[in-house]
Amino acid sequence: MKTTVNITINGESYEETIPNRMLLVDFIREVAVQTGTHVGCTYEGVCGACTIQLDGEAVKSCLMLAVQADGHEIKTVEGLATNGELTPLQTAFNEHHALQCGYCTPGILMNMDEFLKKNPNPTEDEIRHGLVGNLCRCTGYAHIVDAVKDAAGK
Amino acid sequence: MAEKTSGKGWVGVDFKRKEDHRLTTGKGAFFGDISEPGMLYLVFVRAERAHAIIKNIDTSKAKALPGVVTVVTGADIKDEIRSMPQKVVVPALPARYPTHWPLAMEKVKFHGEAVAAVVARDKYTAEDAAELVEVTYEKDLPFVANAAMALAPGAPKVHDEWEDNQIFANVFTGGDTVEGQEENARKVDKIIKGAHAVIKETFRVHRCGMTPMEPRGALAKWDESDGLVAYVTTQRPHIDRLALADILDIPTEKVRVIAPRDQGGGFGVKAPFYREPILVCHLARQLGRPVKWQETRNEHLMVVSHERDQTHTVELAADKDGKFLALRTDGTCDCGDGCEGVYWGYLMSWLGGILFTNSYDLPNCDIRLRVAVTNKSALSPARSFGSYPTRFAIERAVDMMARKLGLDAGDVRRKNIIAELPHTTCTGAYYDSGDYLKVWDTLNEHLNVPKFRAEQKKALAEGRYIGIGFGTGVECSGMASEILVPMENQPGYGAASVRLDPRGKALVSFGDAAQGQGHETTISQVAAHEFGIHPDDIIVREGDTETTPFGSGTIGARTGSYIMSGVSTACRVLKDKMALIMAHDLALDAKPEDFEFVDGEIIYGKDSNIRKTFGEMAERIIMAPVNLPEGVEGGLEHTAFFEAPTRMMCFSIHAAFVEVTPETGQFKINRFVTCEDLGTLINPQIVEGQVQGGVVQGLSNAMFEQVVYDENGQCLTADFENYKLATAADMPNVEVTHSTTKCPHTPLGQRGLGEGIPGPVPGALSNAVCDALSPFGIEITELPLRPNMVWRLLQEAKQKQAAD
Repeated sequence: MKTTVNITINGESYEETIPNRMLLVDFIREVAVQTGTHVGCTYEGVCGACTIQLDGEAVKSCLMLAVQADGHEIKTVEGLATNGELTPLQTAFNEHHALQCGYCTPGILMNMDEFLKKNPNPTEDEIRHGLVGNLCRCTGYAHIVDAVKDAAGK
Repeated sequence: MAEKTSGKGWVGVDFKRKEDHRLTTGKGAFFGDISEPGMLYLVFVRAERAHAIIKNIDTSKAKALPGVVTVVTGADIKDEIRSMPQKVVVPALPARYPTHWPLAMEKVKFHGEAVAAVVARDKYTAEDAAELVEVTYEKDLPFVANAAMALAPGAPKVHDEWEDNQIFANVFTGGDTVEGQEENARKVDKIIKGAHAVIKETFRVHRCGMTPMEPRGALAKWDESDGLVAYVTTQRPHIDRLALADILDIPTEKVRVIAPRDQGGGFGVKAPFYREPILVCHLARQLGRPVKWQETRNEHLMVVSHERDQTHTVELAADKDGKFLALRTDGTCDCGDGCEGVYWGYLMSWLGGILFTNSYDLPNCDIRLRVAVTNKSALSPARSFGSYPTRFAIERAVDMMARKLGLDAGDVRRKNIIAELPHTTCTGAYYDSGDYLKVWDTLNEHLNVPKFRAEQKKALAEGRYIGIGFGTGVECSGMASEILVPMENQPGYGAASVRLDPRGKALVSFGDAAQGQGHETTISQVAAHEFGIHPDDIIVREGDTETTPFGSGTIGARTGSYIMSGVSTACRVLKDKMALIMAHDLALDAKPEDFEFVDGEIIYGKDSNIRKTFGEMAERIIMAPVNLPEGVEGGLEHTAFFEAPTRMMCFSIHAAFVEVTPETGQFKINRFVTCEDLGTLINPQIVEGQVQGGVVQGLSNAMFEQVVYDENGQCLTADFENYKLATAADMPNVEVTHSTTKCPHTPLGQRGLGEGIPGPVPGALSNAVCDALSPFGIEITELPLRPNMVWRLLQEAKQKQAAD
């Protein structure tokens, strides 16, 4: 079964006819070829590497079908910077060495970008709890927490 | 003109990572992002049984599914490709090396072993077809569940062609002859029998591993004239290339392996030569079309990222002052089926045995190990390679001894930490340089233990239980050829090529493959420091066997020690040449060392008015190779093969502070402090990142992660719901400190660090919990360390106290 959907990704609309069972993350990576969004678990919604924003809300794109995103606006990590200018969060990740392999990073950025909009002045504890939906294996999280703290309010 | 550094150069600077821009904007180049026109997708059908004879594999329904290109089973490939083992991925150690192919032959040996592979035009179809492959089994054979069962007389055999299930055994002490080992054993026995105090305990560390966020993958394409090009998630592309050439019988000039520029973590897991890429490459050649296999997390957690799984009975003897006299250990390791190139499941435990005495001065030891194959997946390397269990054992034994003698565990530690270097351990490990006691003292200055002890006493009076614990770790800082040749049949040198262009910009290349360490940044800093140019003027490339010098891989913290030293050496050869030609051009009677390379200029030391820009000299030598000194060629390119004069080691100590709630057994890590000596720091921020990450991996292994099999050998933990990794909310912020003595064996005085960081963690953590609960006298002897275990130990201790 196929359906024609219209999904806007980073401001560009994609009208495509796709199998109904296609996961949103596969639509983003393989149909729209925006490969910044990653897959780290077996589509179980635990690792958070596939986190994107759907109408401004951070969601895990492996837990949605692409057809469910029909008519919605999606922002991925490729859409964070505007005209080449990085967001304070992206800059803070570099400043604080908040990434090593970078595989989990896009999902963390998309989650924390939304988190800081909802909570512009978080405590360390709030940041750490805000990150539980994202697994990172390299950094031990401390530098990520530092980066989010630094980007808050900027 | 380069950015001014006031002559200080680029070593020791928190230069911000060059990798980050692409990785924070979604432009990373990971394995999953690579595709080829006409690419097919391969999905493995994996065994649902742990140990069973295959009766039949019916592939007809799968083959009939539209979009499926082929389905292969073991029988289809047995005569088409050579079997493992192949010499290039076999260590020069006396072990058994099981014959195997990428797919199971007559029987399956663990839950998750590949029995068939489906190749289809899209990945959804490949997954559907894999579901349609019907595997029937003759009968279930007994599940060989652990080392004790595997090594018992008459145990069912994992590999039918072997006499028993022992893959490897070693006596690490007393020399190479049985007579010498037995004589040593008698000597150690006598010391233990005559000692003032002896503790004897069995320590066990469960099966767990490193589990990078990006699983494995292989994508291969074949062209009759160019041969095979394979993209593989790997830490050692050059070794993979040789092994693939041998096993597929392709001449090496027709095999190119490329590790993707960005890899999502490795930590040892991507170091073996695995079975899956062999089949992917074989089918790409056979079908004449690109074939891609992307491992799922489910496969990953069933098949790889299992390490540790060692049990050691330890006897430690000491005099009344706590000075250690002797150590006797007898251990086993459950290495799974052992079908894994390079490591064969057992090699980690071998190194764990060699480094058993860790940082302690213990000349009289009897250390033994037996490794068994079982019906589980082969152990694959993880950070703190083989040493995580032995470190847990020795560090716990130290604290238990201190308690037995009524001494402070810190005092006992300081008394026994190796005071003078170099030092050769009873197993023959050579510790080259540094000052281990200075590391201890530096850490203790940060901790203020007397103040903590006062707080602890006060807390106890209030009914609160807080404690402190230490763990130490001597880790290999890269591996010299004299170790790596017998260990893995591979060279240990750090080979690096440095090529300058006519504008004075450099390309540095080497044959290893990063998985997040920030090589592009730190290697740039080293070359920039040597040349006196800016790190942004340097490009770093690695991972492609066609364009890089031979490298044994990004393993064992060897980038910091060996590769960076290769880069320094190559840069210095080029600097000497540039200085020589500059002296010649200016008719100076000068030696290369009379010139300084600083902030984009080459300056004559005896008259600083005499200077040329770095770029102008590069242009002159590459583009205008006329009027050169006699015997000197034009061009600026050099490959160095750095080999240190001795083996090198790096030393760390960790301290954990915890508070335990005795009613529930729950504990909280209030503080975690590390101190290490890695000599010159190239990029302190990246070093801190390595330590933070390594400690959290060590904690996550100790507290959360555990591979669990049921009584039939079903792996119950093949997803992140059941195999829990630490999250941000679970973990403390690590305080990272340094105690620096320069390494005398590297050009910049640095040591490689990173591989061994999780090692001291389980000792520090469990010692802290035991210290907090010292009024109850509990002793933790196994991991994982979880509240339920602490609670159980507390109940037992309370019952014992009541009975007394």
